[in-house]
Amino acid sequence: MSPPHRVNPQPLSLSPRQPKDPTTTKMARINFSVLTILSVILLLPVLSLSFSPDSPSDRRLLVLFDDLSLKSSHSIFFNSLKSRGFDLDFKLADDPKLALQRYGQYLYDGLILFSPSIERFGGALDLAAVLDFVDSGHDLIIAADSSASDLIKSVATECGVDFDEDPSALVIDHRSYAVVGTEGDHTLIAADDFIESDVLLGENKIELKVRVLNVYGFWIKQAPVLYKGIAHSLNAANNLVLKVLSASPAAYSANPSSKLSSPPSLTGSSISLVSVVQARNNARIMITGSLDLFSNRFFRSSIQKAGSPKKYDKSGNEQFVAELSKWVFHERGHLKAVNLRHNKAGETDEPAMYRIKDDLDFSVEIYEWSGKSWEPYVANDVQVQFYMMSPYVLKTLSNDKKGLYHTSFKVPDVYGVFQFKVEYNRLGYTSLLLSKQIPVRPFKHNEYERFITAAFPYYGASFTMMAGFFIFSFVYLYHK
Amino acid sequence: MARNRGRFLVLIAAALIFSSALASSIFQPISDSHRSAALELFNPLGGSFSSVEKTYEELRTFEVLGIDKRSDISTAACQSVSEILGSSSSTLKDLFYALKVNGILQCGIKEDVFEGVASRLQAIVGGASALLDFYYSVGGLVLIKGQTSKDDLYLADAEGVFRSIKLWTTLAWNSPTLSRALLGLVADVALSQSDGRWRYNSNNPESSTFAAGLALEALAGIVSLSSSEINQSLISTTKNDILKLFDGIEKYDDGAFYFDEKLVGAREHQGALSTTSSVVRGLTAFAAVTSGSLNLPSGKILGLAKFFLGIGIPGDAKDLFNQVDSLAFLESNTVSIPLILSLPATVLSLTKKDALKVKVNTVLGSNAPPLTVNLLQVLRSGSKDTSLIESQELKFDPENAVYTLDALPKSVDVGKYTFVFEMVLHDSDHKNLYATGGQIRIPIFVTGVIEVDSAEIAVLDSDLGSIETKKKIDLAGENTVSLSANHLQKLRLSFQLSTPLGHAFKPHQAILKLTHETKVEHMFVMGSSGKQFEIILDFLGQVEKFFYLSGRYNVQLAVGDAVMENSFLKAIGHVDLDLPAPPEKAPQPPAQPLDPNLIYGPKAEIAHIFRAPEKLPPKKLSLTFLGLTLLPFLGFLVGLLRLGVNLKNFPSSSVPAVFATLFHLGIAAVLSLYMLFWLKLDLFTTLKALGFLGAFLMFVGHRILSHLASSSSKLKSA
Repeated sequence: MSPPHRVNPQPLSLSPRQPKDPTTTKMARINFSVLTILSVILLLPVLSLSFSPDSPSDRRLLVLFDDLSLKSSHSIFFNSLKSRGFDLDFKLADDPKLALQRYGQYLYDGLILFSPSIERFGGALDLAAVLDFVDSGHDLIIAADSSASDLIKSVATECGVDFDEDPSALVIDHRSYAVVGTEGDHTLIAADDFIESDVLLGENKIELKVRVLNVYGFWIKQAPVLYKGIAHSLNAANNLVLKVLSASPAAYSANPSSKLSSPPSLTGSSISLVSVVQARNNARIMITGSLDLFSNRFFRSSIQKAGSPKKYDKSGNEQFVAELSKWVFHERGHLKAVNLRHNKAGETDEPAMYRIKDDLDFSVEIYEWSGKSWEPYVANDVQVQFYMMSPYVLKTLSNDKKGLYHTSFKVPDVYGVFQFKVEYNRLGYTSLLLSKQIPVRPFKHNEYERFITAAFPYYGASFTMMAGFFIFSFVYLYHK
Repeated sequence: MARNRGRFLVLIAAALIFSSALASSIFQPISDSHRSAALELFNPLGGSFSSVEKTYEELRTFEVLGIDKRSDISTAACQSVSEILGSSSSTLKDLFYALKVNGILQCGIKEDVFEGVASRLQAIVGGASALLDFYYSVGGLVLIKGQTSKDDLYLADAEGVFRSIKLWTTLAWNSPTLSRALLGLVADVALSQSDGRWRYNSNNPESSTFAAGLALEALAGIVSLSSSEINQSLISTTKNDILKLFDGIEKYDDGAFYFDEKLVGAREHQGALSTTSSVVRGLTAFAAVTSGSLNLPSGKILGLAKFFLGIGIPGDAKDLFNQVDSLAFLESNTVSIPLILSLPATVLSLTKKDALKVKVNTVLGSNAPPLTVNLLQVLRSGSKDTSLIESQELKFDPENAVYTLDALPKSVDVGKYTFVFEMVLHDSDHKNLYATGGQIRIPIFVTGVIEVDSAEIAVLDSDLGSIETKKKIDLAGENTVSLSANHLQKLRLSFQLSTPLGHAFKPHQAILKLTHETKVEHMFVMGSSGKQFEIILDFLGQVEKFFYLSGRYNVQLAVGDAVMENSFLKAIGHVDLDLPAPPEKAPQPPAQPLDPNLIYGPKAEIAHIFRAPEKLPPKKLSLTFLGLTLLPFLGFLVGLLRLGVNLKNFPSSSVPAVFATLFHLGIAAVLSLYMLFWLKLDLFTTLKALGFLGAFLMFVGHRILSHLASSSSKLKSA
């Protein structure tokens, strides 16, 4: 018997957001010099403040403005972030002291770019620095408006979103504009074409605190979101970017004060108003063409969509933005998988190898981060693959509502080096990619079936032959 | 950088104002939404604020907005006020704000406490050298004067203090270098600058507009505290300074004026709002205590009011206080009181016969003095031509305090207009007191239902232009037209649009959209001549643009405009296009984004298909054949019995008989070993056993066989 294999949960837990600690490599090189040890000690409190695999929510956010008056005009949004425990650092986008990292450590977990017209960031910040920030697993919110600069547009382009190239174009919608007595050019839009996703937009629909099914089986729609700004479209080659709020089919992007001579480049539902990206390293990005979307004025405004008799006292902006920011800053939809286990049916220890046609049990635990603690994740679409070059078995796991997912199946009659693979990519959730290697061997020579009925005539013939020989030996020797 | 900042300010403020481009001159006075915002923003935790300054800001904001929340915090606030006033170690700033809070709450502070504070402040005024010291101490004395019954509180040497703030103005103006040299020598202060701005103290070279506001307020306090008349030349110099300060005022496109610190990164940088607010406080305070006009253009005062109103509802308690406080000062100032003309709605429906309503209020939303509002002109937007109407007076409805124009002028059709209003005050004395802003231009959208007529879609033969199929469509209802065409034909779509007054109407959006099954979209802008809109699509010329994609195209028509109440997006039907096969180097249609559900949905389950077990004959057949294999053995036994087999040759002597028995037992053992090999043993065990058995068998076999051979040869020889 081989000693029982313990599954070490740590290497399996999914932690791509864990910042790589450059000090470890440095330490090796400088051979534990005093300087390095000192720097590690100094950096420890910094590290412990930032997110870790154990609590993936962001903590420190950098907010960049064109003008500090935005702090006051968008204060409800910022106050809601503060009340959720974020440290906000407000800076002007052309502040000469801007920096995202110091001594190789990132100073912030998230970046909010509320500076649409900035042509050039101050300090050490530039396009590449912003992209590096995202590439190292940090989160980003970009809000543009009609004054969007090339810099902001190129940040968005790198994230898979293309803003309308016409600088004077706004999203116009003559069908679903917001009815306001003093707003006549239909650029203030009441948008309600939301993506169907609870993890992105929260479970509470904006109008009702409790979900109610109406007679037709559709969810009752939430209050529309006020939008005034520019259009963008998704890059078709990028399948990580998602439209969260799209324009109505009648919308188009054009300059409202000049005549339309050529067809607008962006029209209808292909116009995205708010988009999100979840990168492969689980960095999350939110992009919108309306800075006003976050403003106190839109948060407090009442809303009535043209052609609809229903007037809402409050627009859906506040809840929409709050819920989406919870997602962006990893307060929701962040999964971890631990304790991947497998064993032969009826046993508890993990074997080093399976034989073909063995029956096995497989289990894995999946938890979702709620912003404060890890809660069991409940879903009925988690699947496991038994994989060698291609999946031989792909099975949906059943769960016990406490985070434990389980299934059992028979090992295929093909031998080789297999993997248990859990690939879980769901809209809005961080992706889970786990694999564990396990060899499968064929039968040993003595594991085949021994008494095959079909062979009985051969055995019968042999043994009667032997009996005959035994008798014949007497007859031959002693007959007289 | 400062220039950039200015530009950003313009942009942001433009964004803040409700609609940046068009509603440029619509400012709404303070309303109930400000009150609810104030209640939200000033939300004292535990009944008291952290500082007495904040308490004052809250009380002042609530006082101006007319919210009665005084009782909630008055006990705690009064307690801290009396603590601050009673203590000799409290800071100057705290004293100042405590007195201000007392001014609102009337805490009932004893006279002797005031006396102590007053003497302390007077001592500070005498020895002050920094602007803030002057500001707080003089301001505090003014407040004490207002709150006690004592009349004898005055500055012994008011003019001297005034001078000590003001002294070097003239010198600084005439010869900056001399004044700077004097500054070093003279212990006195010269904080006023030649451009009307001020410095915080003589050691600080940065001049500040914010400081100018504080200085003006302090000067006003000195004038009101002065027992004797202040030298008029000093007053007029200060007035001159104010005018110079206003030369540096900045302006937005929408007519709002504001002050901003020119120097960015100054030690105490203030935003545009607090700077402007400080100047307004100083200006109104100074104007209130001095006689004679300041000669400030009323447009600038109105512009300042517009700036504060243009901010909307600030989300910050300090900003809200600055806004509301400044507006309250503007409301009651002696220079000129701004009147705000506002429209509840600038979108008027021709179909619903909306009346044009105009409101005139002061900045805080109270009613204006009796006046007449005239509609001077109605201009079509975009054209500078003559007015569509004669000047006319709006009817006043005293009940709602609204000026109305019952019916829009007959010549006004749907479209964008600029209405020009003018306010005429009834009382001629008011003309100097109020700022009306002259002609006020307000953009108005007049909307209406556009009539859509004679819409039809047809497929034409290219060469002859003859109509192959023609279908009428009803753009108000549902349509499911189904057409088919090839690349040699043309598609024609036409319809007519006319305004309620029967004029031609050109909407901003008139787009024909063809969508292929693969979601590739093609859009065409509809052209017009007069009322008739027509588009002819020649498919021969469009083949390349259509990527040679044959098949079903859905046809949609979108017509919409800001002034069109019945904007529509209608599915007309579909066209089956038969296009030629693409040549080799034809462009590929653009990729369409993948449906997220395809990427993120669960995959189909896979179950492994095991190799089927080899086909075996049925059990019965095997057993039958097993029986058959036994038959020869049985035949063998029967044959032996028939032959009459005997065993007479078995050795009779004992030794050979033992060997014979052992030999046959050995054979039986080998055979049973074979049986065991089949049942359970493996080859190695079997061979091992067979080795021993074989050796044994050979030995006993040799013995018995040699015995048998010798006995048989004996027999033969015998």
